[in-house]
Amino acid sequence: MRFIDPRHDRWHRVEGEDGPVPHPDPQADRLLTLEQWHTVRETWPQGLATGVLLPNTLDADTLAEDLRGPQPRLALVVLQFPKWTDGRAYSQARVLRARHRFAGELRAIGEVLVDMLPLLQRTGFDAVQLRRDQSVEAAVRALGFFAGHYQGDVLQPKAAFMRDLQAETARAAAPQDAGLFAGQGI
Amino acid sequence: MYQYTEFDRHFVRARAVQFRDQLRRHLDGELPDDDFRALRLQNGWYVQRHAPMLRVAVPYGELSSRQLHQLARIAREFDRDYGHFTTRQNLQFNWIPLDRAADVMDLLADVDMHGIQTSGNCIRNITTDALAGIAPDEVVDPRPYAEILRQWSTLHPEFAFLPRKFKIAISGAREDRAAIGWHDIGLQLVKRTRGAGQAPGPIAESLETPRSGASPVGNDHGEIGFKVLAGGGMGRTPMVGSVIGEFVPWQQILVYIEAIVRVYNRLGRRDNLYKARIKILVKAEGLAFVDAVNAEFRKILEHDHEGVAHLIPQAELDRVTRSFELPAGLDAQRAPKPDPAPLTLPVAYRRWLERNVHAHRLPAYRAVTLSLKRAGHAPGDATGDQMDRAAELATRFSHGELRVTHEQNLLLPWVREDELQALWLAAREAGFATPNIGLLTDMIACPGGDFCALANARSIPVAAAITERFEDLDRLYDIGDIDLHLSGCINSCGHHHSGHIGILGVDKDGAEWYQITLAGSDGSTLSGAAVPGKVIGPSFAAEEVPDVVEAVVETYRRERRPGERLIDTSRRLGPLPFRAAADAVRRATAAAAA
Repeated sequence: MRFIDPRHDRWHRVEGEDGPVPHPDPQADRLLTLEQWHTVRETWPQGLATGVLLPNTLDADTLAEDLRGPQPRLALVVLQFPKWTDGRAYSQARVLRARHRFAGELRAIGEVLVDMLPLLQRTGFDAVQLRRDQSVEAAVRALGFFAGHYQGDVLQPKAAFMRDLQAETARAAAPQDAGLFAGQGI
Repeated sequence: MYQYTEFDRHFVRARAVQFRDQLRRHLDGELPDDDFRALRLQNGWYVQRHAPMLRVAVPYGELSSRQLHQLARIAREFDRDYGHFTTRQNLQFNWIPLDRAADVMDLLADVDMHGIQTSGNCIRNITTDALAGIAPDEVVDPRPYAEILRQWSTLHPEFAFLPRKFKIAISGAREDRAAIGWHDIGLQLVKRTRGAGQAPGPIAESLETPRSGASPVGNDHGEIGFKVLAGGGMGRTPMVGSVIGEFVPWQQILVYIEAIVRVYNRLGRRDNLYKARIKILVKAEGLAFVDAVNAEFRKILEHDHEGVAHLIPQAELDRVTRSFELPAGLDAQRAPKPDPAPLTLPVAYRRWLERNVHAHRLPAYRAVTLSLKRAGHAPGDATGDQMDRAAELATRFSHGELRVTHEQNLLLPWVREDELQALWLAAREAGFATPNIGLLTDMIACPGGDFCALANARSIPVAAAITERFEDLDRLYDIGDIDLHLSGCINSCGHHHSGHIGILGVDKDGAEWYQITLAGSDGSTLSGAAVPGKVIGPSFAAEEVPDVVEAVVETYRRERRPGERLIDTSRRLGPLPFRAAADAVRRATAAAAA
């Protein structure tokens, strides 16, 4: 999991005084709104590293065309948590990864709290921009409590009933040493 | 009972450690109330009127003596020495201080228990028939499927923050004792002949045009499957679930439910708490909802990376099923031994045999309900000592196993017929032998305004007043089978919508009032197709409620035809005569209206 510091982010939005610029010029590492992207999709060259913000009210299939084929148009998809208890982006993430085979960066923004980390990681996010008051240290610890889960997910598609649980449990140290698992995300 | 594996134990312990970490951060001020709320809810911790409330999960209602002894210990050492069994087969504590919460979770984990997903906007404890695995009318034992679903839904990363809570119930018998029509998803296990064609036009009354139901891929390779209902629920807008899949083979059920919940997560309303349940989506979308679920289901199986990973393998069903084989030492071949001398027995025992003892699929065995509905106790409540006594009865008479019933009683599933008398004596001594199962005083009731921060009105004093009014057993027997359900607010934890007599606490200008409904049904054979009851007139004052119940009951006794129960008579006559009788006993409300 990568923790994004917005002050040192490769990706930049294209915004003017009145909000998103309607017709941005082609440039690498731009993070576009969906409207911007739809405006420039036909004219921007292939292979230009582009990111898109997908509102959580839209179906992940909205990006299906952009992710198809050996050279998908998008390198970054940013999903949103307007409230941390609004779980729509988890479904979007899972569908982007499992159904549309999106292999680029999948980033969570908005009200992202440390205790969401296990869910984010398991549904396919690999980058998060934490809410400003959140601690990266606590977020890393939050990833370490469980050695395995019952149902499959994006990281471990197989359900527990298809795995060798004895080996998995044996590998796991006592949960009191949960810090040992930090970042393993299994 | 399901036997925990090392993995299961490790998992529950990890959850307790994770919760301890969250609680510590909260108590240290690192995790504010707003951020902690959803985390504690998903571990069963509410903050109630007096103290936090802990709802302990009892998966599909199965408890061991060992577990119940541990719950008794928690009641004694951490609470004010009692707990409350709920309609969703769980147990609630009311007085545990939050700073001791993590210690309680450790004690629960010691006996393979937890509070995972007993609250919050996630998939809740899976419930089923309290007679699962022992009922003579059972087609398929639902417990292995309930356990597989429990595991699948536990800490599901995609479905932890749905628009609203999500409840699943399974029935495997001809009789629906799990009220599946009233759940977000209701599952009915069915067996069909191999090679039988797709059943024609499943469809639910609430959906407009008939058409064929779900056509899950390859439904010819198994003869056991599920009829799937979606969109049932109580609350402010009571709705009964619609059939959206006529036959989903058991192997595919996790994928089918994943499709339903994903569609709901995507499209369910989040702008209005009262319109956020799946029932509103199913109602609004109708067949488009069914189409969306079927499309999602096919996409998972046909397009998703490892989309077939959640098809249940036979080996897994076999593994889980082995946990639910007969208890060790039980003799399934034992010849039935009739009750030695029933006619010489006291009438109280005969009544207990009639009401509290139930038929069993094994001829020499019976299931016995320990009534938690008795004067002086709130419905469903048990003290620590009573929990210990019930656990001892289970050890002595039922191979150490109990069930929590939807009607908020305890049930012993493996009692030998020739030990019934001994059990009766012991149960009577422990205060569990009130012979009132299925009768008016065996009412369902939520804890109400005495405890619950959501409630508009109290339930416990009203329940107590009704219990007192109908103390006379001869009269109670003459009145016969009645489902009386009482909720302290529209959240409907006391299932008032499905009561033959439903009582709902409402708040008017800061005072407690009670709305009375008639002829609701949970969907059982006795009660008829699931349907919400009809309101009989404006609300009543608390002190009028026992009079109203009595007026309704006396109207029934006067008007009934031979063999009719209250539910039958109230359906035949409609609400008017009952309303007139109820209006006639208004005192406070009549004065207020004047």
